[in-house]
Amino acid sequence: MLALDRSPRHRELAAEIVRFTRRSTRHYKRSRISWGTRFVDVYSWGLGIGVSLTIAASFVLALRNEIAHRASTTGSIIGEQWLVLPEPVLWTAVTFAALLVISNLARKLGPMSVNGAESSWWLTLPVDRRPMVLPPFLRKVALTGAGAAVVYLPFSMVTAVGRAPLDHVLASLTFGLAAAIAVILAALQQLAFIGPRLLGPRLLGPRLGRTIAAAVLLACAVLPALTSSGWPTALVAVAAVGLLAVVVPRAGQVRGDELVRGGAVAGHAGASLFMMDSNEVLRALGGTRKRVDGGRAARYYGRPAQGPLRALIRADVVAFLRLNPPVTPPILWLAACITILLVEGGLPEFAQLAVIVIAGCATASGLGSVARRTALVPELDAMLPLHQALVRTSRTLMPCVAMSVWMAALSSLLVLLGAANPALIGVGALAGVGMGAGTLRAATRTPPDWTAPPVETPFGPVPRAQLGSLMRGLDVTILATVPLLVALYLGFVPLSVVAVQGAFSAGIFLLVVLTRPKRS
Amino acid sequence: MGTVLEAEGLVVGYAGAPVCGEVSATVNAGEVLGIVGVNGAGKSTVARTIAGRQAALAGDVKVHGLLIDPDAVPFRRQVSAVFDDDLFFPSLTVREHLLLIARGHSLNDPEARVEEELEFFGLMVRSHAIPDALSSGQRRRLLLAAGLIRPSSLLILDEPEQRLDPQMRVALGERIAEHARDGGAVLLVTHDPQLLLATASTCLVIDEEVREFDPEQGASIIAGS
Repeated sequence: MLALDRSPRHRELAAEIVRFTRRSTRHYKRSRISWGTRFVDVYSWGLGIGVSLTIAASFVLALRNEIAHRASTTGSIIGEQWLVLPEPVLWTAVTFAALLVISNLARKLGPMSVNGAESSWWLTLPVDRRPMVLPPFLRKVALTGAGAAVVYLPFSMVTAVGRAPLDHVLASLTFGLAAAIAVILAALQQLAFIGPRLLGPRLLGPRLGRTIAAAVLLACAVLPALTSSGWPTALVAVAAVGLLAVVVPRAGQVRGDELVRGGAVAGHAGASLFMMDSNEVLRALGGTRKRVDGGRAARYYGRPAQGPLRALIRADVVAFLRLNPPVTPPILWLAACITILLVEGGLPEFAQLAVIVIAGCATASGLGSVARRTALVPELDAMLPLHQALVRTSRTLMPCVAMSVWMAALSSLLVLLGAANPALIGVGALAGVGMGAGTLRAATRTPPDWTAPPVETPFGPVPRAQLGSLMRGLDVTILATVPLLVALYLGFVPLSVVAVQGAFSAGIFLLVVLTRPKRS
Repeated sequence: MGTVLEAEGLVVGYAGAPVCGEVSATVNAGEVLGIVGVNGAGKSTVARTIAGRQAALAGDVKVHGLLIDPDAVPFRRQVSAVFDDDLFFPSLTVREHLLLIARGHSLNDPEARVEEELEFFGLMVRSHAIPDALSSGQRRRLLLAAGLIRPSSLLILDEPEQRLDPQMRVALGERIAEHARDGGAVLLVTHDPQLLLATASTCLVIDEEVREFDPEQGASIIAGS
């Protein structure tokens, strides 16, 4: 065969092909969109962004004032702060977590990728692939950096009240550059793990790659807090440029199947986001490697089961054990809740309660894999001679048990911290049942129908149908936590709260299993 | 005639599970290897593995004596593969898609070559249409045109007869035979006995055990006799 050809002539040819495709695409799009439509698009986007920014800014300023006021007083939902975490430790941990999320997300989406058409028509050409994958990758790096810097600015204003305005800007720039590094590190993993040319065949395995990336991001997470001078920003900028200098010349060496995989995930996730279908987003990002064997709990499943209900429950239990992610995310959310409570000075009580609700919703959402998968094939529910309510009961059993255990663990820790009396553990366990049931309701959420007209209210038109669709599942998950939050706010558990919690959870459970899911 | 494709002890499948027996085959320049079998036997998986679209579970595949690497430029230059991937740039016309391939393979006078292929595949009147506006058969013709417009020493076709009318199937058979006469090797996965008889030099029947037959026997197996 022929020798490997990466001559400038072939690189120029590849660049010409990319230009040709993009030029044709631009020409085609322009021919389909009138100036009037463009003006309406720009106007509505501008208006939307302006309103969103105004709301966000007023919220941030209100929270900032609350925190500034709060710092001089005492008060928290916990009574015994036997461990005081310095505030910078918490914010550095949050920054680190955000950088890890960016890096993991970038790795799932490529970051170097091609879409379906590009994979069929570009990747098969005998030319250097760098001009095909590099410009979109650089755009992703730049956009991620800019977006992260903008998002970090309010975070910096809320978490460092005494910082000067210029320091806030520097901290935001530092974080933006760190986010860009997170994306570049994901690209390095793509090169080093997949490609045999950078560091030798599979020398940098996926686990080692992730560990190295995490270590670099941990160092980056510390820097936005050190803004007394410009050197942290300069340091991160130099690191970003250095890493880019490693990635850019090798961009064409990422293997084709890896480019296609990233493009497929990005396309699926992007389309789901556009349709505001959160279940589909989770399905897109939660894709795992195919297994030829079933995996965990094969022996348990192999035992004889009497009756269709027991058989179905066993199938749902085994599916839950096989499809759900490892226990790390629920443990991390648990740790996050406790860390927020132990931080020096403390967040306002409502913010602490909000963190508990967010952590609960995120954990519950993570436990809904089986329900989300089975919701795609409604015929599965009709396979056994069972009433649909029994099928839904079986499906929601494991999420309820798992959430009950998680909430009981959280409540136990809160009791240890003096948030309330031990009865809170029972309330937490009961709340978990309702929250677990919410996962099934969320899994059968239909994409919002944006053609439905908004409903007129005294506050103006409200897209009630669309909001109802978006909040389906989340509504009952949050509702299930309300009695628990009341108990935490009061600092003790009245008997009435236990009774209300029991009624809420039982009602939610019954509502979920007795309601037929909507079909789009 | 030199050897173009060698598959030795090739085991194909998904997630570690083989879908058919071990495949060993050699295709020389000027030969057409037909691959037949019942639905789900693993024909397309064999073709996809040889084209480097998915990893082999075991065994080696060599093209011109080198292990296949779909990311290597020489492999992409030598191997043309047409699968049933209905993926197109939504904004490029039929002509522009073919022009992209012609330019990407540095053909002399790409515009003229594109005209020839449009004529052959009966796409001239639809040459300024975007693929979304084509019928499924016309999209299939476009994919085949893209696979045949470019030079290649190994042509892999996965059920190319699908969605084509009988007239086009005959024309395609002639085109495949012409490719072989010009010194190219062809791996043809098909369910069409006529196409197999018109083109193939040898035939592999994919099953739990992969066996080699002459094209007549292969055609009988497809026909179910």
